Amino acid sequence: MTTSPASATVTVKRPVVRNRLVSWLIFGVVSLYFLIPLAATFYWSLRGMKDVLGFEAYRKLFADTNFLPAFSQSIVNAVATIFLSLLIVVPTAYWVTLRLPKLRPVVEFITLLPFVIPAVVLVFGIIRLYSAPPLLFTATYNSSRIVLIFVYVCLSFPYMFRSVDNGLRAIDVRTLTEAAQSLGANWGTILFRVIFPNLRVALLSGALLTFAIVIGELTIALYMAQHTLGPYMSDLTRSKVYEPSAMAIVAFAITWAAMGIIDFVGRGATRHVQMVEAD
Amino acid sequence: MKPNSSTNSQSVNSTVGGAKRPPRIPIGHWLGVLPFFVFSGLFLIGPTLNLAYRSFEGLDGGLTLNNYRQLASDTVMNAYGMSIKISLTTAILGGLIGFLVAWVVSMGGLPPRFRLITSTFSGVAANFAGVPLASAFVFTLGRVGLVTALFKAFGINLYKSGFSLYSFLGLTLVYLYFQIPLMVLTILPALDGLKREWREAAENLGATQIQYWRYVALPVLTPSILGTMILLFGNAFGAHATAYALTGGLFDLATLLIGRQISGDVLHNPGLGYAVAMGMVIIMAFSILIYSVLQRRSERWLK
Amino acid sequence: MSYLSISHVTKQFGDTVVVDDFNLDIEKGEFVSFLGPSGCGKTTTLRMVAGFEIPTAGKILLDGADITDKAPNQRNVGMIFQSYALFPNMTVAQNIGFGLSVRKESKEMVAQRVDEMISLINLEKHALKYPYQLSGGQQQRVSLARALAIHPQVLLLDEPLSALDAKIRVSLRAEIRAIQKKLGITAIFVTHDQEEALSISDRIVVMNSGLMEQVGTPFEIYNFPTTVFSANFVGSLNNASAEVVDPALSLISIDGVQFESAVDLKERKKGDKVRVAIRPERLSFASEQKKANVVDSIIENITFLGSVVRIRVKIGNTKFNMDTFNNPFLDLPKIGAVEQVTCSREAVLVLDE
Repeated sequence: MTTSPASATVTVKRPVVRNRLVSWLIFGVVSLYFLIPLAATFYWSLRGMKDVLGFEAYRKLFADTNFLPAFSQSIVNAVATIFLSLLIVVPTAYWVTLRLPKLRPVVEFITLLPFVIPAVVLVFGIIRLYSAPPLLFTATYNSSRIVLIFVYVCLSFPYMFRSVDNGLRAIDVRTLTEAAQSLGANWGTILFRVIFPNLRVALLSGALLTFAIVIGELTIALYMAQHTLGPYMSDLTRSKVYEPSAMAIVAFAITWAAMGIIDFVGRGATRHVQMVEAD
Repeated sequence: MKPNSSTNSQSVNSTVGGAKRPPRIPIGHWLGVLPFFVFSGLFLIGPTLNLAYRSFEGLDGGLTLNNYRQLASDTVMNAYGMSIKISLTTAILGGLIGFLVAWVVSMGGLPPRFRLITSTFSGVAANFAGVPLASAFVFTLGRVGLVTALFKAFGINLYKSGFSLYSFLGLTLVYLYFQIPLMVLTILPALDGLKREWREAAENLGATQIQYWRYVALPVLTPSILGTMILLFGNAFGAHATAYALTGGLFDLATLLIGRQISGDVLHNPGLGYAVAMGMVIIMAFSILIYSVLQRRSERWLK
Repeated sequence: MSYLSISHVTKQFGDTVVVDDFNLDIEKGEFVSFLGPSGCGKTTTLRMVAGFEIPTAGKILLDGADITDKAPNQRNVGMIFQSYALFPNMTVAQNIGFGLSVRKESKEMVAQRVDEMISLINLEKHALKYPYQLSGGQQQRVSLARALAIHPQVLLLDEPLSALDAKIRVSLRAEIRAIQKKLGITAIFVTHDQEEALSISDRIVVMNSGLMEQVGTPFEIYNFPTTVFSANFVGSLNNASAEVVDPALSLISIDGVQFESAVDLKERKKGDKVRVAIRPERLSFASEQKKANVVDSIIENITFLGSVVRIRVKIGNTKFNMDTFNNPFLDLPKIGAVEQVTCSREAVLVLDE
């Protein structure tokens, strides 16, 4: 009385198998396109010494007298950018969610602007406005550096605002605030003991994304004559043979680390939020 | 218990001050958003508006449309043309390939962890533009690159047969490295938005797989696909660092032209330089606008 | 031979048996509900009829033809999903016409059928709207029209009302039943809501962890449940463990309080442990002395439920719910008072432990 399940599985499975083959093929070819440049770069980075594969190129890179200053300057710039950006964006997003919803479209529009204004156009505008009297902000290296950081802060707005805004939405900030208020908490307590801890993941991903973008930024730093990692890497490609490959691998590793952490904590967070929703 | 509404301005003041006060202009509330507006005004909007204003300034200082007329000159048109050509090509190619990859990892029957790896890697690669990316391709397809050498070993001289990394084709190949991942990242959620029930309902009503894709899935995805491709267009159009690192800023691209105009007045007319920059902003604004319109429509469908 | 015959159908996912030896014959024009908690296999069974799952063993015959292994798009069955599953890129009319369009029917024929269907569900004003512009109830009606447009041999409804508001749920339920009767279409309706199943069906299949517990008309299922599960799942129920006192007279005792049942207990021996079930509405205060099954009880609690007043009484050591219809002149006893309650012999159900 039982039918033969074999015939059923065959008729159903054949197209799936063919699909899967095509899938693997597409995935394989595209993977090659993405992996070969990395592999080639890595291979070159190991050839710093004649006839032997080794980490000589990396040693030379780190020993370069210009590398560490540029690298540390970029890190300081990135950290300063993140700090300032958080300080600006968190209250903005919180206020826009809770107190001034009418401003939301304006704020969202402004956070789109960094996508509309190409970096090269922005730096063009900055230089023409602030490198001549009456607004001579870029008179010294350090004042230029401060302007650079401020520009980076603006460039981080889209990423930072979206992260924080999503974070605020996920925790239903209005209810949390009202609950805290009804329990007698003041605004400082609400922000630092209730809102911030719940936004940790959002803040972290916004910060890391900003870091990944700022750390190797070339265009703006270049035209503002800043000795940061971007211009340094650009010079390196013209002056050295093997070090640029080591540099590219290091840069890739940094980006990978930043994105990896975002993914890792992000997954934990979505799990957490889903659990809360399921209750 | 007193009502705890936070929809109006009263609760902040009343909580802090204790006593209830009549509603007034909530200056305190603006403090929270003030830094945001100051920063974006000084370092984002102001400089751009300044460029916009000066793009209407003639050489004699008066207001004129002359600079915009001169956009038609060969130097500018070549740069714009190449920028648009590369942006269009990489948007379409990147869009198609990215869509295929997203489709393959989300519903092509690959093990689920490939999807995870792909989306993480895409996050990295989409942000990997600039000098390191240019270097990576130099080491791969440059004159002494590994793949170039490999081809040579098989008797094919890439550079003698017309290929160059520092050409339209080469730049396209490099740009795809961040375009494809960006497509994957934005289109994966859209693919997830396709409900299993739609496929089943279509099948149940007698549709074949192809009919389902032709009449349901693709039309539902079209706004997302088109919108993201436009986003990719803007992404390539505004890209400067990668092309600069690859070609030393000498290639015919709108961004590189502006770069040269910053360093020294290569157009011999500052006003024209501003007009070139504003032209870019206008094109970018258009693409972002179309993108957001399409995105809104697709959200309405997929929710 | 019946119209739709599901015989010895079993479905396994890996080692888990989701549906175990399902057997059911459905007549043409019959409205059958699969009722059970989530995970009982009712949806899987429905999906096997639709062709989205292939049975591990068993056969499904539709109008004499074996459709067990047929692809979903080769069967002529209409399916309605809990989430409506309307195509968001198509208007109401395009959604309804989809099944006919993919069958390459002529434009005129499709248009005519779409018009028929739209007037059937009373959505003439909304024909050119998109799904997101409609309410949930309207969307589900469109999905009903879409499924019916292809003249399906069977209509399959997978919890179609679960996503809707309580009021719409009741009115759409009636509408579905009316349309089904009008068209004389055979329908299978999957639900976890017993009230829904009782009100809409010709027959109900109660399912539990992959097994069929009981098949019968709503009347039979409610009044004569054969298993503890179907007694508990359908309607609310007082449950008590009891002991057989006299098999010949069908006498049982709950904590020493004797009840007489109409169930034949001759198969059992004195002292056998059994489970006794009495529906709350079958218990009432004893007004006349002559009735059987009159016992003393203590009033423990009274809850007002709108049309019904639920009184919690203690008989022996067991607590029972007693439902009585509300009316403004109801004379309710005091809590703690001792009152006599009663129920008919037929109300005392004896189930297997």
